[in-house]
Amino acid sequence: MIKIQQLSKFYGKNEVLNGINLSFEKGKVYGIVGDNGSGKTTLFRCISGLEKYNGKITSDYSVLKNHIGLLLTEPYFFDKITAREYLQLMCNARNVQLENLDTQNIFDLPLKQYASTYSTGMKKKLALTAILLQKNECFILDEPFNGVDIQSNMIISELIKKLKTAEKTVVISSHIFSTLAETCDEIHLLKNGQFVRKVLKEEFSSLEAEMKYFTIGNRIDQLNIY
Amino acid sequence: MLAYFRLQLRMTNRKLDAFGLYPLLAYILLIIAFFGLSNYLFSKSEYAPYLYIVVALGLSIKLSEKKRIDFLKMCFKTTDYFKIRIVENSLIALPFVIYLIVEERFLPAVVLFLFVNLFAFFNLKTTTNFTIPTPFGKRPFEFSSGFRNTFFVFPIAYIITYISVNVNNFNLGVFSMLLIFIVTLSYYAKLENEYYVWSFSDSSKVFLIKKIRTALLFSTFLSLPIVIFLILFFHSELETLLIFWILGYAYLVTVILAKYSIYPYEINIPQGVLIAVSLVFPPLLIGIIPYFYSQSVKRLKTILE
Repeated sequence: MIKIQQLSKFYGKNEVLNGINLSFEKGKVYGIVGDNGSGKTTLFRCISGLEKYNGKITSDYSVLKNHIGLLLTEPYFFDKITAREYLQLMCNARNVQLENLDTQNIFDLPLKQYASTYSTGMKKKLALTAILLQKNECFILDEPFNGVDIQSNMIISELIKKLKTAEKTVVISSHIFSTLAETCDEIHLLKNGQFVRKVLKEEFSSLEAEMKYFTIGNRIDQLNIY
Repeated sequence: MLAYFRLQLRMTNRKLDAFGLYPLLAYILLIIAFFGLSNYLFSKSEYAPYLYIVVALGLSIKLSEKKRIDFLKMCFKTTDYFKIRIVENSLIALPFVIYLIVEERFLPAVVLFLFVNLFAFFNLKTTTNFTIPTPFGKRPFEFSSGFRNTFFVFPIAYIITYISVNVNNFNLGVFSMLLIFIVTLSYYAKLENEYYVWSFSDSSKVFLIKKIRTALLFSTFLSLPIVIFLILFFHSELETLLIFWILGYAYLVTVILAKYSIYPYEINIPQGVLIAVSLVFPPLLIGIIPYFYSQSVKRLKTILE
């Protein structure tokens, strides 16, 4: 379990997160939604220990970050490192033996190719494969479906369900509501650095309609499309 | 086109500023260092002009990275694009050409000038799907990535070793060994994204020890053939050779620790000055290495623990 209490984060004078309280339990999938710049990525970075923050984050683990698999929105890859070497590096980092890689290459990635030459979607799939091979207990996936083809989106959705049944904690942010609705147990709405709403599975459809109404409103009509 | 070069100059100045150097002072220091080093090199080795050609061409190849070239092609007309490439390559080669002329090595100067201009018409550094094999794949990333970028240096170093034996020049042999260390040092000059340090579940001490162990092991793998060759043919110089070998390792460790002593920021003036002073008086490394080590442990603790 991960418990976040009164989490705040400032960048200079700009308060990005403001008194966040939330708990993530094992065997559950959490969705975080919010506008661009609402603080989703910052929240993920704070949980992972990549950012300093005010407040408290506690967990069942002595060092939480060592059990987190973090998928970044835009994974970064070194120049002239093959995908296989990247996976090796990530497994070495967590002292995990890398075995039967070819059978575990569920996205059929060309592992001998330089990772930096991969397309956006392939990079995401490679980074996801890496954190899965690390055998983490918690997964924080920042926009896992972005730039990924339909087939792989289906695989990722199934993977998330599998992680849930394996009693892992999964936290996802996505702008694609259908994927969240399919995989999450609850969705939290982040606005201006605060959680303004928690929505359970049975209310997902009403949330989508509500968000559509408030987000779109009459904005499109304001634009003079001819 | 002029705006492009003004922008390049501004970017370079910003980088120097970020490094903590006043740009004008940095340019003066660079010129002095370049001519000082060149003077030393030409006084020590007759092969210096060849090394100069290799280095200058290597630098111009660096400018022909595919994404960079694509960007230039996208932004400029074909004629302007080629003008930019020619001017850039010429600027890179200019100090080398000038020094070769000063040394009255006219043929290498002309060859170098012609080749860098010729290189402006080709994309030599491409992002092809061809993967250069590396013996360091099991322990990424510094050596596997670095080796692929500099693989051509190793045969050159081994050939220089062979020449050193042929012409009975021990200093040249030592130079070839140091060339290996200089290249491996460069693998640690690039700052990795914080994510790659964060990913490690080791303590900061274990993290550093693993980094150093890998660096020592792989640099031994690359330098050992030269050392063995030199021991066989210059056994009377064994002591000197071992001193330089150990110094190579010591500077490799120093650079790794200096990098993490300021991480996630780039090596700055204080670290640079300490390394420079140690180059003048190597025994200082006895104090500098533990200092960088303790700073690195502190820095990495905030990310790893």
